[in-house]
Amino acid sequence: MTALTIDRVNKRYGQLHILKDISIAIREGEFISLLGPSGCGKTTTLRCIAGFERPDSGRILFGTRDVTAALPEKRDIGMVFQSYALFPHMTVAENLAFGLEARKIAPDERKRRIGEVLSMVRLEGYEQRFPRELSGGQQQRVALARALVIEPSVLLLDEPLANLDATLRDEMRFFIRDLQQRVGITSVYVTHDQSEAMVMSDRIVVMNAGEIDQLGAPREIYERPASARVADFIGRSNTLQGEIAEALGGESYRIATSSGAIGAEGPSGLSVGAKVQVMIRPENIRIADTGEARHGDNLISGSVVKSIYQGNANQLSIRLASGDEMAVDVSGRTLIEPDAAISLRFAPGDAWLLAS
Amino acid sequence: MSSVDKTIWDRLFLVLVGAIYIFLMFPIVLVMLLSFNSGEFLAFPLEGFSLRWFESLFSNKRFLDATLYSVRIAAISTIVNGVIGTLAAIYVARHARTGARNWLRVLMTGPLLVPEILTAIALLFFFYEIGVGTDYSIGIQIGHIVVTFPYVFLNVSSALFNFDRSQEEAARSLGAGPWMVFRRVTLPAIKPGIITGCLFCFVISFDIFNISLLLKSLGNNTLPLELFDYLRFNFDPTAAAIASLSIFLTFAAILIIDRTVGLRSLRF
Repeated sequence: MTALTIDRVNKRYGQLHILKDISIAIREGEFISLLGPSGCGKTTTLRCIAGFERPDSGRILFGTRDVTAALPEKRDIGMVFQSYALFPHMTVAENLAFGLEARKIAPDERKRRIGEVLSMVRLEGYEQRFPRELSGGQQQRVALARALVIEPSVLLLDEPLANLDATLRDEMRFFIRDLQQRVGITSVYVTHDQSEAMVMSDRIVVMNAGEIDQLGAPREIYERPASARVADFIGRSNTLQGEIAEALGGESYRIATSSGAIGAEGPSGLSVGAKVQVMIRPENIRIADTGEARHGDNLISGSVVKSIYQGNANQLSIRLASGDEMAVDVSGRTLIEPDAAISLRFAPGDAWLLAS
Repeated sequence: MSSVDKTIWDRLFLVLVGAIYIFLMFPIVLVMLLSFNSGEFLAFPLEGFSLRWFESLFSNKRFLDATLYSVRIAAISTIVNGVIGTLAAIYVARHARTGARNWLRVLMTGPLLVPEILTAIALLFFFYEIGVGTDYSIGIQIGHIVVTFPYVFLNVSSALFNFDRSQEEAARSLGAGPWMVFRRVTLPAIKPGIITGCLFCFVISFDIFNISLLLKSLGNNTLPLELFDYLRFNFDPTAAAIASLSIFLTFAAILIIDRTVGLRSLRF
């Protein structure tokens, strides 16, 4: 069932077109991330859902209820802010009670729910502390608890981990994801950190310049990006220019490139002769004489330009005969001579076509 | 620069700062000392310790009346400015158009920028022009409110500037309407600014002279005016006793600021 619908929403600030016809349907209990560089419109989208911004056109529905014109306080949302936005003059318990008081919940029930949610975020015994007496991670958990204690229909998170240090950030990712799944609450998460979006989300909305570049599960976004922009934004990638030489049916194609003919997969329906880019992730390329070669693997040769040892991996830079450079990740134990001639292989399934 | 040089410069700097403080504080200390002088004149050397001038102050009906009048004027100025200064600061910070904001800010702090005597003369003409005149206390009261207005406005403005507005959004997301947001979130956050501004307002209103001199109503003198009148014909330490009392009140106010909001505002 669709819990949250964003239907052809447009937003302009003066000359700037911030959101261009954004449509997203979010399922009940789903964790969805809005991912993109700053200025892509992800925060504006979230603020439209929260009601802090009013779309110029389009609709926003919670379930079947049209909330486009509703004030934030009438929307039944829980929101977590980048700055936490805890009330500094109130204790943890008072911060949590605020939303319950606004909803006129009886004191007994209030107390029960506060206790319950504090144990959920593992902060029992912190009721009487003030926010300034807590660490960044604890403050973040209080902010989460404050948003969840009112049992909202949607949880909105605006870069909640951006102010935490790296270790804590990694820990909180799993904490938030785990909590979200236990509560089963529909969540919209805004981030510019692609690895955060990858590990937490059911689906990711990749945004750019006010448009949705791609909407899909993390695996789909990573392995089957819709455009070169998405491929670049999510992880590292190599691209080879080419032209479709033969459609082999389904998603399989044969591509003519300046480094020879290779097999690749792409969206079905591409026509022969179309210009394409072939995207290959560095970790999916192997040195030809190592491991087990499979029938149909693409072979390509070049010479080693650079090798950067990183312990667990060697990051190689390979110059192909065509002059293109390719990044290749191999095991850290593989010894590579600089300037050595090298032969690479990769499966057609790991080469993905992007229309250019 | 070596560390030896640094300590020498540090010490010289401390000496300079000390000298400035002595220069500023010495007259005040002197006046306070004189108020306890048992001699007949406002002069050195001190002839002995006595509280007789305080007694003379408190038994002088004119001084008592003037003190009460000053307190009344200052209290009304404080209450009025506490409300309109806060509202004005909220309007300028939140609702004014970006282009108009800086102009409004300058306009609101105008009474601080224009010499007090000019404000006084302008108001005097104005009150006579519109028929209010200076028969009643309304003129002097308005004058005090105008001159002390910027103190509340500026303090609340800076409190608003340092306030993280996402707290208000958080409150709204939790289901609070505009009034609950203001009362439970915004007001507590700007409270230190309001209190500091109000105390300044009170102390300044208690102290100002020019406005009172020109706008005072019939038969009422503020304490500084009464003191000035007194000093024209008398030169005994009663005047010093009044000064000591004013200084004491000012210090008390500063102490209150520090104890109630000064230290606490560091938490945010």
